[in-house]
Amino acid sequence: MHELSLARDLMGAIERTLDRSNARVVHVSVSVGSAAGIVPESLRFAFRVVCEGTRADGAELSVTTIAARSRCADCGIVFEFDGLLGQCPGCGRLGGELLSGDEMILRTIEVADV
Amino acid sequence: MCDSCGCGLSPIRTIDVNQRLLASNAAQAEHNRTHLAGRKILAINLMGTPGAGKTALLEVTIARWREYRRILVIEGDQATDRDSARIRAAGATARQVETGLGCHLDARQIHDALHHLDLRDGDLLFIENVGNLVCPALFDLGERLRAVVTSPTEGADKPLKYPPMFRAAHLVVLNKCDLLPHVPFNLDEWTEYVRAINPHARIIETSAFRGDGVGEWLAAIDDLRQSFCVGLSA
Repeated sequence: MHELSLARDLMGAIERTLDRSNARVVHVSVSVGSAAGIVPESLRFAFRVVCEGTRADGAELSVTTIAARSRCADCGIVFEFDGLLGQCPGCGRLGGELLSGDEMILRTIEVADV
Repeated sequence: MCDSCGCGLSPIRTIDVNQRLLASNAAQAEHNRTHLAGRKILAINLMGTPGAGKTALLEVTIARWREYRRILVIEGDQATDRDSARIRAAGATARQVETGLGCHLDARQIHDALHHLDLRDGDLLFIENVGNLVCPALFDLGERLRAVVTSPTEGADKPLKYPPMFRAAHLVVLNKCDLLPHVPFNLDEWTEYVRAINPHARIIETSAFRGDGVGEWLAAIDDLRQSFCVGLSA
């Protein structure tokens, strides 16, 4: 349940961004690489819990999953995949060197000024 | 308040942030890493399954090295200081971090623990993470080296089931190799799966209980320690 730590971190980043303004948060969007090991539903649940009683209480969280990319250790093909582990479409070998797909990024915050 | 139609709703504006998550953990980890490098202290994040023998491996490491070098251990567990007691009994300094509801250690906890340890130049610091193959992989603690410990009773397909953990490791240890003749564990298959996830990690078989492979484990740490020291003076 590292999603709870992530949700707390997300809340911290939101607070730092909004600083002392009175803005109320209505929507937050993040993007995560498919190989990062984040379960979007768990993150949304944890975020709801962390937001209770704050300026983001009731805010919606959208999680966009981005395909990961690996380079096959055998044939060198670079391929995209969804999930934690890819399989080379050329030779069928599992895994390989992960080139991207473990990122976790806070994209946008939608706020209503009070 | 809406000025255009008087609907009473505030207009919504979008703020583009585009910031990495866990940035504050990453910054704290970098602070830890710089501080430790300044003291020439090699920090090793020891992760793995609960019961794989992480503490046992540390006990035997301390037994072999305590005459030659100072070893410090930060112990992370959800509850109790039992592992710290084992480390102290083995002859090293330990600081326990109880994570409570947390399933992993983070860089802030390591920073706080470092303030409670008597650090000296050239010390070797082990951070024994919470036994868990999922969450600790995500949290940089400021270590130089990441080692994952697993064992034959867990099955050969663990690397495929927990890719981020094995992907993040410099060293992958198969402990309890004295059990290999007694359990249905295909070592070749396991090795192939580790390689599939992480082509570069050094793989070591040990039995902390019987002593097999411990020399190779210590040699691997020494090798990495040397390249760490060379890196520091470069």
